[in-house]
Amino acid sequence: MDNRPSRHRLVRIRSSRCEPSGQRRLPKREIGGALVRIGLLTEGGYPYVSGDAVLWCDRLVRGLGQHEFDIYALSRSERQEDEGWVALPPHVDRVRTAPLWSAECDGVVYGRRARRRFAEAYGELVAALCQGDASDPLAGSSGAEADRFGYALYGLAELARDEGGLMGALRSEHAVRTLERACRAPGALRTAREARVPELLAVADHIERALRPLSLDWYEEDGLGAVDLCHATSGGAAALPGLLARHFSGVPLLVTEYGVRLRSHYLASGAGASGAGTSGESAGPGGSGAPGAPGAPGEATGAAPAVRALLAVFHGGLAAEVYRQAAFVTSGNAHARRWQERCGADRAKLRTVHPGMDASRFADVGESPDAAEPNTLVWMGRVEPAKDLVSLLHAFAKVREGEPKARLRIVGAPAGAEGAAYLGHCKALAAQLFPDEAEGPHAVGDNPVSFEEIGGPEAPTPADAYASGAVIVLSSVVEGFPIGLAEAMFCGRATVSTDVGAVVEVIGGTGLVVPPRNPRALAEACVALLRDPERRARLGAAARARALELFTVEQNITAFHGIYLEIVSRCPVTRAALEGSGDPQPFAVPAEAHLPGRWADPVARVAARGGQGGTAQPPVTATAGNPAVEAAR
Amino acid sequence: MNSAERLSRAGGPDRTKAWERGVLATEAGGIGENGVTELGVAGGVARDITESGVNEVEDAVERAVEVKGAVDSDGDIDSDGDIDGDGEGVALAGRALSAARKPDVGPSRRGAVDPVKALMHRHRELCERAVDPLEIAAGLEAHGVTDRTAARFRHRDVFSLAEEMYARVPRDGEAPPHTAPAPARPRVDRALLTLLPGALCTATVAGVRLTQGQPRLIVAAAGVIAVALGLGAVLRHGPLGLRRGASSGRHASSVWTGWLLAYTALGDGLLRAALAGGPDGLPTGTADGPWPLATVPLLALTLACTPAAWTTHLFATRARRTLAASRGLEEFATSVRPLLFGTFTLYVGALAALLTLCAAVLDEPASYAATLTLGALLLLARLLTVHGFTHAPAVVLAATTAAEAVALATVFAGRLPGCAALAVPVETLAEAWGPAGVPALSCGAASLTLLIHAARTLTRASAHARANRP
Repeated sequence: MDNRPSRHRLVRIRSSRCEPSGQRRLPKREIGGALVRIGLLTEGGYPYVSGDAVLWCDRLVRGLGQHEFDIYALSRSERQEDEGWVALPPHVDRVRTAPLWSAECDGVVYGRRARRRFAEAYGELVAALCQGDASDPLAGSSGAEADRFGYALYGLAELARDEGGLMGALRSEHAVRTLERACRAPGALRTAREARVPELLAVADHIERALRPLSLDWYEEDGLGAVDLCHATSGGAAALPGLLARHFSGVPLLVTEYGVRLRSHYLASGAGASGAGTSGESAGPGGSGAPGAPGAPGEATGAAPAVRALLAVFHGGLAAEVYRQAAFVTSGNAHARRWQERCGADRAKLRTVHPGMDASRFADVGESPDAAEPNTLVWMGRVEPAKDLVSLLHAFAKVREGEPKARLRIVGAPAGAEGAAYLGHCKALAAQLFPDEAEGPHAVGDNPVSFEEIGGPEAPTPADAYASGAVIVLSSVVEGFPIGLAEAMFCGRATVSTDVGAVVEVIGGTGLVVPPRNPRALAEACVALLRDPERRARLGAAARARALELFTVEQNITAFHGIYLEIVSRCPVTRAALEGSGDPQPFAVPAEAHLPGRWADPVARVAARGGQGGTAQPPVTATAGNPAVEAAR
Repeated sequence: MNSAERLSRAGGPDRTKAWERGVLATEAGGIGENGVTELGVAGGVARDITESGVNEVEDAVERAVEVKGAVDSDGDIDSDGDIDGDGEGVALAGRALSAARKPDVGPSRRGAVDPVKALMHRHRELCERAVDPLEIAAGLEAHGVTDRTAARFRHRDVFSLAEEMYARVPRDGEAPPHTAPAPARPRVDRALLTLLPGALCTATVAGVRLTQGQPRLIVAAAGVIAVALGLGAVLRHGPLGLRRGASSGRHASSVWTGWLLAYTALGDGLLRAALAGGPDGLPTGTADGPWPLATVPLLALTLACTPAAWTTHLFATRARRTLAASRGLEEFATSVRPLLFGTFTLYVGALAALLTLCAAVLDEPASYAATLTLGALLLLARLLTVHGFTHAPAVVLAATTAAEAVALATVFAGRLPGCAALAVPVETLAEAWGPAGVPALSCGAASLTLLIHAARTLTRASAHARANRP
């Protein structure tokens, strides 16, 4: 049995055992008894109306009204800033924003020492890039080599904090020369050795853009240093401030990636050449068709191999460093988790928090008795080639061989020009495959396949569209998190879907899954369900139960609440209580607090609580780094 | 017997494993009866799969075909007997499969090739472009390849499949040819725009010459405003304009420039008059009054907007082309330096030609040294500003302005009692080189400073990167 003293410091969670039963309810604005302030870091996201995943962040912030939130937002474009913010709830204490798209040099010119510091740190950074060891997760375990990237990053951050002027230095000729030297050094990547002057410039420029968060003034003691925990809502640029807050002030970092940033970087950097822009990560976690994680602006689309190679190493290294320093990394599905693991995230730090969806929209449909037309199949989603509607139509032709009364409703709007062309193609194919048919010789005929859009007379809301179908079909060949499938589950409908993306993970055992690009299998599964209403009802009920268990907004918020709790319990931030004049209050924290030891010991607990009791309510607090914890690790 | 042992182990619960072992057995053995072994296993696999569900039949067929593929590709290397046996085994496996559930699924149309190779062929653009395995993995996933698909290629997940594909891409070390950026076409409207200040100035000079008294004053004032507006338009658009996103420069610079131009027109006359004890009256707009107006340099300088824009454009495009072609920063600097001096000389030559022409047409003397140095100074200042170096031009222009103003002031200060010594340097200079010596000297020193500065800064690659940035 391991009876060594705990290496963790005082956990300021008031366990319910210690309390009289009458006081078991936790006071408001506290998490487990500790006052917690969360720094929410976003990039092109939350407070901006047009941001990514705004709905999710808004629900999270509103759902955790017992916490204080400070929002630190990086905006992505001028247009985004002009469009303004969403309404913020009252427990958001402050919002600090910074543009990533414009750069104002502060005009600081480095002296000799600062120049040397810059040369050292930047040289280390680009050397790590050119050797290609920054991103390799296998090298990550081998100590010194892996630390180079982080060391260089923090070196630059410290320089920016002490001297300012980092942006100008990163753009200077000096930086480009350093990069050139690193590329020509022995041991550099083959592609890096081939880099020519335009490529060097492009890489230097991109690094400058990516490192702009280093020049922010957020890392003071009253900025990110004062929060108890940083929650980065995406990887990449949003996580960078969290990384630095952890470096400067020891603030624990939680990273949530609903779309893995490195993966979207790869897709964006390749999209220029091949047009394979069908991002599998189409699902924003908000559940309302939020756009997937697009690459940052200025992404090197269609750039030279040297640029793409170096930038890939840079982003890989950044991701690895973020994963290494984060207390927890959450993802939306197993697919994102695999990528995170691949990029060097420790498996013990990974948590899957499924995206939450508003279940109330589908409550009526899900709870009322089955009002579906018994022979109707419904497909719903954005019309685009990745959804493979052609395969669905072929499958439906086979379904009609077995079930001549079957009808198919395709509900959805085309996505972009490509989607519109595809929709036209599908309509033509449907008209070819299925002639119009009528009830009798005197009735007007109709096509068994109908194309509709949400908001039309037959389907005013998504819930109505799902309600009209006996079976919901998903025929995609590429899919991220299938929101439509989860919505169908909320509606308690039996589903047939293709085995792509996170479909299997979402559906569990509550629907039929067939291989993609296999109309015959799809047709057979649909026929099997159409012929068996009881099985449909069973599967639908199971699907609804599963969705209510896993994909509600409440579970999402509860999961994050739990993770916050866990982080704060593991990484308590010591708060030196300050007097009104701003001086530290003497004896506010007992000396024992700096010793690692067993705090569950009753004597220690009394001492600790006595110490805490001395602080005013609410105390004027500041955060100090916790070197003891750092040293103990 | 080796294969028999393998066979006996092959009946494990995991059918994929069983199938893999079957393949292993086939690959390992060298005797004809391995075909039978393999048939048993493959058939078993097929039955397993078909029993497990309708939906995986196609999958099973593909697996069986892959068995065939694997066998055939191995068989090429082995002896002939092997191929026969294995081929038969696969055919039997296929028949067993069809008999099991689906009579209409025949052998797949996909041929007997290495499946990963086929996949690489399908995604060859992705593979050739990829800079590391993760890029291939991301691209494959965007095309719908999942871990289940990767299992068909005998890989644990997409990542390891991507690693194999990345490793198998032939890399002959030939970098793709670098395409030089398309040179920015000089636009006709912009070219015409650069003619505007010269035309306005010509009209003003003509108006001033043809009118007298009050109307001349009005024409002159209107002309100055029109030329200033025209210059502003030229400096906003076209090659002389700042790039989008560049800092808008300092307004002080335009003030200094205006002052320098005014000095060119009026300064020499004022200095001459002051040295002679004048001036006795305000400028009348003629070259022979008590405070003569020099129109030749002004006209030449405004006409020189066109060569200035053209040389700046030439410099920018040639530098960009050099940038795209150079392998190192040092190489770039050495090839841009002659370009800079060449375009500079070209401009000075064009300005000298214009000056001669104007002097001949207006029939007035021209001070070549002062005008050419001022033109050179203004061009260099603009060139540096356009490329993002705003600080040095602003400082140098201000210093030049100050020098000229101080020179004028000392002459007037010398008239104060006891201060006669103040005027001595300017008087000496004017005696030696004439009154144009003052602007020539100050502008010459300033343009030399800026030329040296430009030779250092404009040969940096980063200067042109900034100009390239959208």
